[in-house]
Amino acid sequence: MDGTYDEIISDNPFFVELKTEYVNLFQHCITQSWVICVPRIGSLSTRVFTVEDFCAHLLVPSDELPETHYSTLTEKQVTVTNKVITLEVTKGLPLQSHILFEETFYTEDFIKYKVWCIETPLEPTANFSDNTISKEYLTSINDCIDLLWTQAAGRQVLDQIEHSVQSFLKSHPTLPVAVAPLRDTVSELYTQCLQIALQNRRLRDKSKSCKQVLENIKLAVECYMQHLLFDALFKPICTCCAYEDSHLNKKIRNMCDIQLRDLDIKKELYHAVPRAKQILSKIDTYNTVLEKVLCVKQALNAINKKDDSNNIVLLTADDLLPVFVFLVIKSGLPNWYSQLTYMKEFRFSSAGKGDADESAFLITTLEAVIEHIQSGALTGSPDPESYYYESNLTEENVNGTRERKNSLTESISTSDTNGKEETLEYIFELIKANHCEQVQAILQKNQKHLKAMQLNENNVLKITMENNLTDDDDDDDSDTEIYHKLCHPLCNCKKCCCKISKNLLKTSPTVTSRDSHGLTALHVASIHGKANIVESLIEMGAEVNATDLNECTPLHYASSRGHQNALLLLLHTGANINKANIDKNTPLHMAVNNGHLNCVKALIYFAEHSRRKIRINCVNESGNTPLHLASKWGYEGIARLLIENGAEPSLQNRYNKTAFDYAHNLKILQVLKSCTPNLYEYIHITSKDVKSLNCKPNSPVGVKLQKLKINENNNVSKAVENLKLIDRILKAISYGDVKLACFYMNINYSAYMDMKNKPETSQQSAPCHPLCECSVCKKNTDSYSSDFDINFTDTNGFTALHYAARYGSDELCKILIHNKANVNCINKKNQTPLHLAALNNKTYVIRLLLDSGANINAIDMAGNTPLHDVCAMGNIGAAKVLLSYNPDLSMLNGADKTALTLAKEKVHLTIIDLIDKYTNGI
Amino acid sequence: MATAPSGTHNFKVVLLGEGCVGKTSLLLRYIEDKFNDKHLTTLQATFLNKRLNINGKRVNLSIWDTAGQEKFHALGPIYYRNSNGAILVYDITDEDSFGKVKNWVKELKKMLGSDIVLTIAGNKIDLEHERTVPLEEAESYANMVGAQHFYTSAKLNQGVEELFLDLTRTMIERYEQNSQTDVNRTSQVVVVDDEAAPPQTSCCSGNKTN
Repeated sequence: MDGTYDEIISDNPFFVELKTEYVNLFQHCITQSWVICVPRIGSLSTRVFTVEDFCAHLLVPSDELPETHYSTLTEKQVTVTNKVITLEVTKGLPLQSHILFEETFYTEDFIKYKVWCIETPLEPTANFSDNTISKEYLTSINDCIDLLWTQAAGRQVLDQIEHSVQSFLKSHPTLPVAVAPLRDTVSELYTQCLQIALQNRRLRDKSKSCKQVLENIKLAVECYMQHLLFDALFKPICTCCAYEDSHLNKKIRNMCDIQLRDLDIKKELYHAVPRAKQILSKIDTYNTVLEKVLCVKQALNAINKKDDSNNIVLLTADDLLPVFVFLVIKSGLPNWYSQLTYMKEFRFSSAGKGDADESAFLITTLEAVIEHIQSGALTGSPDPESYYYESNLTEENVNGTRERKNSLTESISTSDTNGKEETLEYIFELIKANHCEQVQAILQKNQKHLKAMQLNENNVLKITMENNLTDDDDDDDSDTEIYHKLCHPLCNCKKCCCKISKNLLKTSPTVTSRDSHGLTALHVASIHGKANIVESLIEMGAEVNATDLNECTPLHYASSRGHQNALLLLLHTGANINKANIDKNTPLHMAVNNGHLNCVKALIYFAEHSRRKIRINCVNESGNTPLHLASKWGYEGIARLLIENGAEPSLQNRYNKTAFDYAHNLKILQVLKSCTPNLYEYIHITSKDVKSLNCKPNSPVGVKLQKLKINENNNVSKAVENLKLIDRILKAISYGDVKLACFYMNINYSAYMDMKNKPETSQQSAPCHPLCECSVCKKNTDSYSSDFDINFTDTNGFTALHYAARYGSDELCKILIHNKANVNCINKKNQTPLHLAALNNKTYVIRLLLDSGANINAIDMAGNTPLHDVCAMGNIGAAKVLLSYNPDLSMLNGADKTALTLAKEKVHLTIIDLIDKYTNGI
Repeated sequence: MATAPSGTHNFKVVLLGEGCVGKTSLLLRYIEDKFNDKHLTTLQATFLNKRLNINGKRVNLSIWDTAGQEKFHALGPIYYRNSNGAILVYDITDEDSFGKVKNWVKELKKMLGSDIVLTIAGNKIDLEHERTVPLEEAESYANMVGAQHFYTSAKLNQGVEELFLDLTRTMIERYEQNSQTDVNRTSQVVVVDDEAAPPQTSCCSGNKTN
């Protein structure tokens, strides 16, 4: 942490006096290139300096060890280790002082001398003033809070900053979703906070006395502000960077199996990489730029630790980038670009210092790393469909035998190196290089040979008849021929036996051969996306559902590498679309994880087209659905596609996280909520992440849903499930589908129909016997014992009865009332079902409700009774029915008007007439 | 770049050049002078702060080392933007590395104009007998592009300090010139001598403006 403390040496009184009053000593000193120690400005008492004082601070390098051993002009021994000066004193403990910084001076004639600014004077007797400034470096948010608290002697500065951040958040409910205005807005707040801090007298005085304190205060204010603001601030940043992040994620996902050796990192650094990775992956747990930068620094420093043999391995610039690239790829963080933007753009306190300090260097390096990954230089062409593997195998050296052995760079197989032309590795190489015909020729030849061999085993006699089936004029020494060269098909002579056994021992690979990883030729062709080879292998009878050691099928590889053509070929040949591999990942997981929209589309549309069922919500080992992955890595298009095809965003994985929790930005969130618009507000309340975006905590919905949440024992997904069900029920009612609504509500519709058709008596009849279980009795009890709460409400407080009344479904009303629905329940506007029936002129329902005990004089939020509504709407039929149930005509609504007044205002003559008649009738 | 209120110049210097030409050794040699090299932290091998006081003018040098591999060449602009100086290192025994220096010069002139002070360093003069880059060629090239040329040996500690000192002085001069002409500087057009295409206008060029 060099360079944090700073002061102008040439203004330091000690140095000035040495230079002006003791010119000869000073000149001698610089010509001898002795080191001048200058105590930092705060540590000097104002007394006059003597010659001895100066002599004690001039260090003469020793002859043997000029780097570490010195002696002062007062004949004292001084050693320097790790930036600490140790002065031997005759009595007591040696005196120690930190070197704060070194400054190299050049005079006009370019004579060089060094000055060390030291923390305390090198004099045992000096009674230096003890106003020890805090020279410690801020390394965490706690340090920052500590500094502001102690230096200001109280927490009022902290409180004031917090207050201004709060009011800032209030006045900016939505922060701009573009980096430049966002930065400007926050920078304004930063200035404001800094002003608050410097209004404090103590802080101001201290910062005036020392420049470093001012820098530290600036940094502390910035950190504290970022700490408070982070939740609100980081979301819009993520949204700005959504596009870059998702592209970066796609790149990273597709190379997540990269190894250290692929990046040309030197072996000495390997051992430290896991530790560094661990440190770096914690970067998203820090809220402030300071801590994030420190996290990067620590991660890189971890690599420099001593290795097993105690040698320090220096991480030089040539290694820094590859190692850092590796760390970023392996960190598993979904929003590196946002992190970078945050670190780059929201570092206000260092604005004046230029952008060349160490933090800037680290941030720039991170930027370079991201740029490097983004550029695709690691993977070749960005489009996997056109991605052609680098291979030394060209048309020319396919024919040369020796060279191809050197071209086996991939670690696909090591099993067989017996110099034969047709080893499995050779075939895999050919597949990689897309030599379809050759692969086909070799495999067919071997296949033929194998077939012949089997036939030979089964029935040697038939061999002769087989010979016409093959037209192998190009394979001149074809293996099938061997059987024809035998003396006799059943010959047992030595020569013939030899021929046959040689043939049996031949280990030429076929379509079904596997390498040490369990990969077949079809796997390899799928990995490299060679559609034509996939096709010909399938024709030759390759097993499409073959699994390798990781239980991956060719389909897994095709989808994880984004090879749409190969994928479709495999699907059409009957590959299992829902096959899970060892981590329980389906091909859909693989395609989604690596961001291959084209493959996700292919999988889903193929399943739809062929009427096969793809399990869109299936979970892998860690409980993630494909939607979790799409949401985490920010693949907007894929998330939308999954949602449209029935993916459920509220499912929880092993860590009790839903896709909502993984959404890093608004764009993804909007896609996720698009399937469940009614739930959006609900989700705001339960999911902490989303809360900050648009929450309306005081709305009645919020209150109700919070209650619901408590009832549900925090079981978010169940609550969401319920709300979705409610939504479905109410929809069914509005479409008039009574049966469906009953089904959803767990009400036995047929029992109800039976009951209706039967005479009154049977409905009332007691069961045949108290414990009887015959069908009639059971049905009767069933209809009552529905465990579904019939008085459930949706987010606006509507019950099923409200809906039934509104849409005039008298049948459903009856069923609901029969199932003990509350006839006087109210919605958010305090409307009863009767209000809704009256408003919509559903006369039959009105009658039914009133017969079932509905309150005819119920008032809603505006003070209207159902009669008011009817009069305002001019619903004649409803008015007639209502009047026949003796409503209170004198009731006034919120505007102090009776029903009659309303009718008169709207000039509904028939209704005025009806009311007149009714009053006169009484 | 900027000058702190106290009058200290903060200069950023990048080290560019092919791998294995000894950029890192040069940098290490320059710091080794300072403290025992046993106590270098990771970043001090890639990033270094050095305070100088030249004739009363305080300078805070931030020296950034860069990766020399060809595959990272494209990341150059990210590193050298806002630099005040660049040290282009080549190996006197390796002609290719000198060709690389020429490429860098061309690129820097195009991207940063005359704002950047260039210094070319021919490293490894301890291997004088293996020299393949002719002395005159290197010096005349440096002259042509307006760069200083130094011969250094990180191994023998020759020319390293002189190189940094000269670069710093030139940067101070350049800075002072610029601040004098600051008034009408905004309207000045930097004339770029080159045969290459005009400055990149691709959509990805955002990273060099920051």
